[in-house]
Amino acid sequence: MRLLIYSFIFLFFGFSFTSQVTAETWYVKKSATKLQAEAKARSKVLGKLNKGTPVDVLGKSGKFYKVSAAGETGWIFRFRLTKVAPSGSGGDGDVLGALGGQQQIAARESAYGSSIRGLSPVSEEHAIKKGASPASIESVKEMERYKVDDEALDKFLEEGRLGAYAD
Amino acid sequence: MKTKFIILCFLSVLFWAIPSHSFNFGNILKEVEKSTRPPEKTQPSKEKTKPTQSPAQSSEQNSGQDGGLISLGDSLGLFDKKTSKFLKQSVNTLKSLQPIAYEEEKAIGGRLAVEVFNRYGGAYNDPELLNYINLVGQSVADVSSRSDINYHFAILNTEFPNAFATPGGYVFVSIGLIRMIENEAELAGVLAHEVAHIARKHALQTLQRSRSLQGVSSLTLTVMDKDPGLFDKLIDEVSNVLFTKGLDKNLEFEADKYGREFAYRTGYYPGALKRFIQKLGASKKNQGSIFSSTHPTSRERYNLLQKSSSRYKKASLYPTLGKRFKVAIKR
Repeated sequence: MRLLIYSFIFLFFGFSFTSQVTAETWYVKKSATKLQAEAKARSKVLGKLNKGTPVDVLGKSGKFYKVSAAGETGWIFRFRLTKVAPSGSGGDGDVLGALGGQQQIAARESAYGSSIRGLSPVSEEHAIKKGASPASIESVKEMERYKVDDEALDKFLEEGRLGAYAD
Repeated sequence: MKTKFIILCFLSVLFWAIPSHSFNFGNILKEVEKSTRPPEKTQPSKEKTKPTQSPAQSSEQNSGQDGGLISLGDSLGLFDKKTSKFLKQSVNTLKSLQPIAYEEEKAIGGRLAVEVFNRYGGAYNDPELLNYINLVGQSVADVSSRSDINYHFAILNTEFPNAFATPGGYVFVSIGLIRMIENEAELAGVLAHEVAHIARKHALQTLQRSRSLQGVSSLTLTVMDKDPGLFDKLIDEVSNVLFTKGLDKNLEFEADKYGREFAYRTGYYPGALKRFIQKLGASKKNQGSIFSSTHPTSRERYNLLQKSSSRYKKASLYPTLGKRFKVAIKR
């Protein structure tokens, strides 16, 4: 009887522990994230993943994580992944872990993160009321409209040997 | 034996359940308040014509409601006046710790961004340079600890060396500061420092700790829209911090540390920010500028970065991209 009880407790704790340790599901942080054939930025692109796509992390090599996603296995630049589910909180949970501390933010952030565009009417009304110049208001709108093209950014990183292209 | 078995099973379930369920003290407080607050009377017609309350009035009302359970304890004679006051203050402080959502953060940051253009020379007109600043800025923002929001970068038309970040993703750098920079790694360090302020929500942290917001339980756009005085107060408070007093020294040091990390993650030489800070400290242009009055001394910043630089062992192998920078700024 005693053996049975100990076995039960062992199995119970063992199960709880392993289920937490082996939880290696991470999430894609940005849309158009490349899933590549090798752990190299210039290797073949197997596909592009959308923001929030869950991936199973299988291993690591340099700046890349080996992942399994949408039935394919490939490599993703590690800063394109986050441990935190998009519906949870913001921040990437610090991939390097050295600087520590996750921030608690409202769950709405992830949902709105990339969709809130334009100067809020509350902000604009307040700025007008306080006598801010129309040029200043327009400059903020212009700033918000400016979008860095994904391909141009990738080329910029490649030319500078930065990001995934860094040696 | 049976009892032991039951206890062991209970403990096992308990140990399993604790890590998988987190507590939100703010929600608990809300629930406690709900349960002790008298039901609200529905008077829609009156509500429509009701004049807007001043922040002070609403704050007073809130503090009355906040202490629901405490007031109950008061009336039952459980607390003396001093304890009751302390508990009410504690409840208000805890409530002010509720995080500000992104939508509201962006409204605050957007309004402050208008203020930045208004105060510091407006936008500098050079589309090519702006594109370059955006590419460098976006590169460091993409590897930051908060890369899931949109960042916006702009150049200010002032010769004073300045850089700002307002909540929600707005980053500014003056043309005067750009002219002091020697390579792309330094520029990345400066922009990453500003991105770190946003990623770590430094201005919002300061706002949430602000005494003037005590008693305000939620900062939603609806609340701000209904109470323009509250939005006024928020903007005044953050403006004063960003443009006059400066953030807490430790937050600046943290932004230096994180900024260097983000630039390093991007692949830039991690010592570049430290070098630039040193150069800024020695510059006459910086003396008496808003930048120097709102930041800790360059020596303090340099020394702190120096202390933790051993983390970056192969730092010298990383590029500074001086040539590309010089081409971009047509030097």
